[in-house]
Amino acid sequence: MQSHQKEHLYKILVIGDLGVGKTSIIKRYVHQNFSPHYRATIGVDFALKVLSWDSDTVVRLQLWDIAGQERFGNMTRVYYREAVGAFIVFDVTRPATFEAVAKWKEDLDSKLTLANGVPVSAVLLANKCDQGKDNFKNHFTKMDQFCKEHGFVAWYETSAKENINIDEASRCLVSHIIASESDQMQPVEPDIVKPQILNSSKIASCSACFKS
Amino acid sequence: MADDLPTEFDVVILGTGLPESIIAAACTRIGQRVLHIDARNYYGGNWASFTFSGLQTWIENCKQELNTELAAACKGQALDNEEIIPFNKRNQTIQNIEVFCYSSTEDGEAVEEAGALNINSALLTTVTSSDGQENSSIDISKNHTSTEQNDSPEGRSDLEEATNSDQRSADSTLETGTIVEVEPSLTQAIQQDSPKTITYSQIVKEGRRFNVDLVSKFLYSRGLLIELLIKSNVSRYTEFKNVTRILTYHNGKIEQVPCSRADVFASKQLSMVEKRILMKFLMHYIDYELHPEDYQDYENSTFLEFLKSKQLTPTLQHFVLYSIAMVPENAKTIEGLKAMQHFLRCLGRYGNTPFLFPMYGLGEIPQCFCRMCAVFGGVYCLHHSLECLVVDGDSKLCKAVIDHRGKRVDCKYVIVEDSYLPEQICANVSYKQISRAVLITDCSILNTESNQEISVLTFPPADKGQTAVYITELCSSTMTCMKNTYLVHLTCSSTKPTAKEDLEPVVQQLFTLSTENDIEANDRTKPKVLWALYFNMRDSSGVPRQSYAGLPPNVYVCSGPDHCFGNDHAVQQAENLFHELYPSEEFCPPAPNPEDIIYDGECAQQEPSESSIPVDSKAEASAENETVVESYEDSEAQKAE
Ligand SMILES: Nc1nc2c(ncn2[C@@H]2O[C@H](COP(=O)(O)OP(=O)(O)O)[C@@H](O)[C@H]2O)c(=O)[nH]1
Ligand SMILES: [Mg+2]
Repeated sequence: MQSHQKEHLYKILVIGDLGVGKTSIIKRYVHQNFSPHYRATIGVDFALKVLSWDSDTVVRLQLWDIAGQERFGNMTRVYYREAVGAFIVFDVTRPATFEAVAKWKEDLDSKLTLANGVPVSAVLLANKCDQGKDNFKNHFTKMDQFCKEHGFVAWYETSAKENINIDEASRCLVSHIIASESDQMQPVEPDIVKPQILNSSKIASCSACFKS
Repeated sequence: MADDLPTEFDVVILGTGLPESIIAAACTRIGQRVLHIDARNYYGGNWASFTFSGLQTWIENCKQELNTELAAACKGQALDNEEIIPFNKRNQTIQNIEVFCYSSTEDGEAVEEAGALNINSALLTTVTSSDGQENSSIDISKNHTSTEQNDSPEGRSDLEEATNSDQRSADSTLETGTIVEVEPSLTQAIQQDSPKTITYSQIVKEGRRFNVDLVSKFLYSRGLLIELLIKSNVSRYTEFKNVTRILTYHNGKIEQVPCSRADVFASKQLSMVEKRILMKFLMHYIDYELHPEDYQDYENSTFLEFLKSKQLTPTLQHFVLYSIAMVPENAKTIEGLKAMQHFLRCLGRYGNTPFLFPMYGLGEIPQCFCRMCAVFGGVYCLHHSLECLVVDGDSKLCKAVIDHRGKRVDCKYVIVEDSYLPEQICANVSYKQISRAVLITDCSILNTESNQEISVLTFPPADKGQTAVYITELCSSTMTCMKNTYLVHLTCSSTKPTAKEDLEPVVQQLFTLSTENDIEANDRTKPKVLWALYFNMRDSSGVPRQSYAGLPPNVYVCSGPDHCFGNDHAVQQAENLFHELYPSEEFCPPAPNPEDIIYDGECAQQEPSESSIPVDSKAEASAENETVVESYEDSEAQKAE
């Protein structure tokens, strides 16, 4: 990596009902694999994907898994804090998961806005399209309409299993995030303390100590 | 929603306050199956923080009562040789709530917090006190039991009105004056805004900028909580601001306490001689254990007497006692020396004062532990009440809990926050009380060029028998209040019947309490209070386990927040309880750091066998352990320096 490159770090949320394929999508995208067997996601907070966006921009995406808390709908504020984009996922084979999309979007917008009060960019993913393709085809115009109404920047048919459209969806989301970022120059808070990152060596001796 | 809740867990935890949340995370980190429940629809219990409208809802809810009858569904769930201990469903930990609004509403229309559910503008009334001073107040004492509980997805209808505590707060509000209901337009008529004045409507509209903590605490930069956050990697969810200044109230004036060598010498309040004495004293006693001969004669005296004996001037005694050691006047010498040492050692780790404040409020911290717990498989149910414990007739151990829908969940251990315990178990417990006030003000108590100071002020006790009041003033960059306002918290352990009686005298000395129209008559040098809330919170921190009668041995109790400034009590309690459950397990080992997991096309890994732990946590755990241990030791090393 060259030193003149700009680096962006974006926190992205992946939300939606249980079993729609959120964890599978993250795994496919970040780890390039897929497992057909269901198992609870344990110990994975978020996954990191590094994209060479263009010749002088590197984008680091933190994809935050919902950590099972979608089961009973009690997300911590920590999960939403400072995210700049979201994928909302439903399962094309289960209409009930699509009905929940509007609720997830509303919940997202009520808990999270950018510094200027604008909702974060969200992309809708119609997952498991390897299974439900045929009966979904006719709904394309409906889906465009739905996205407009509910403030999604776009929607994609995806499959974590067959690796369909996940890269495309991600690129779309990132380009919207970058666009909305340049709209508003975010003042960076200068003096925030992150205890984990801050190692104490830098203040080994200073005027703040009574001992030298 | 929770119909598919599993029927068996290792640990059921009731309450999402700080100690319960730490234990929940600690248990899932060692592979235990945890069910973490709260009867309220928000995280944190009495450790929670709220937006402005969230706070209004909380105030309303504190006065309401839940049906205390045991759900019939419960009874069928217990077997023949089992007994039932019902949980308490009334939250009795908050009392004497009083709200005052000194800023006017901008217009006659009902204002709403952007994105909020319901603000009942009917609650706005005007209080005319006996001296003719008029201020608009939110009358929480009348039983405006908000009929629509829109935030309750389950639409519980068993809310009752009129409680004892309601009655009490009604009385005390009446003492301040007669309640006169006025049309909102009247309030508008008396208002003459200078452009910068923040109105009540603006506060309501910008309500989401507020994060008002029910308890006001800071983290000592080398305290147990910050060390635990670092050690467990829960710190990845946290961000802090440094407290920028320590203030003291001395001779009727607010002054800044010098917190560093540079500060001491720059101080305008101290004479040259005092500066030298103070520096020498602090540098000598930071390692007080090395000089037992210097203090052992005073081991049975108070710290104050000790300070006098060391030729500290009254100003220096005051600084050291209240603002550096932050101990009461009757504290013994060793207690004071220890506290002073802790303060001094915390200086300079992250900034010029020993304290850190979490961005978005202290209420974030329990949620950070809950997130960690969930990441490791903990199951979360808020707004979900448990009806009872099921106790085995022979072993007297708790075998299960039953929820309000009659669902039985078997478990090995139950951890419960003490407010859920029924009266029969708490009959012999005596509680202390904490007095709290929350103010929204229009400027800082000590103006400087920066309007983004975070200040801590210890207000010395007015009389013998009273306690010092801890005051914190937060600016908008802490993300706890809107621009051009300050959020001020006052805390003391209660000595009077209500929080208002304890704290209002202090508020009156530091702030102006008045409405727009008589501001001219008031001291403009003091900040103006726009809105004020008083309440008492029960302090169960000192209650020993033995005073709970008839509790099964595998049921453990966590207390609510204590009145102290730091969080050591909660962390210590969590660690102790965890070790009672799992004596040989590590408490909150570092979680693997996901940032280290970078897979790209070339080094994609083989899917591990199906039965293994996800590759992410396993493969990277060891590498991460090292970096964490390293940074932890760094700080340890520095401490030892
Ligand atoms: N056929 C098919 N199955 C999928 C796809 N994505 C996920 N699944 C399966 O759906 C189930 C639930 O997936 P998971 O990622 O755990 O869902 P989550 O609860 O949203 O995280 C698993 O059995 C996956 O193998 C997909 O694109 N196609
Ligand atoms: Mg999942």
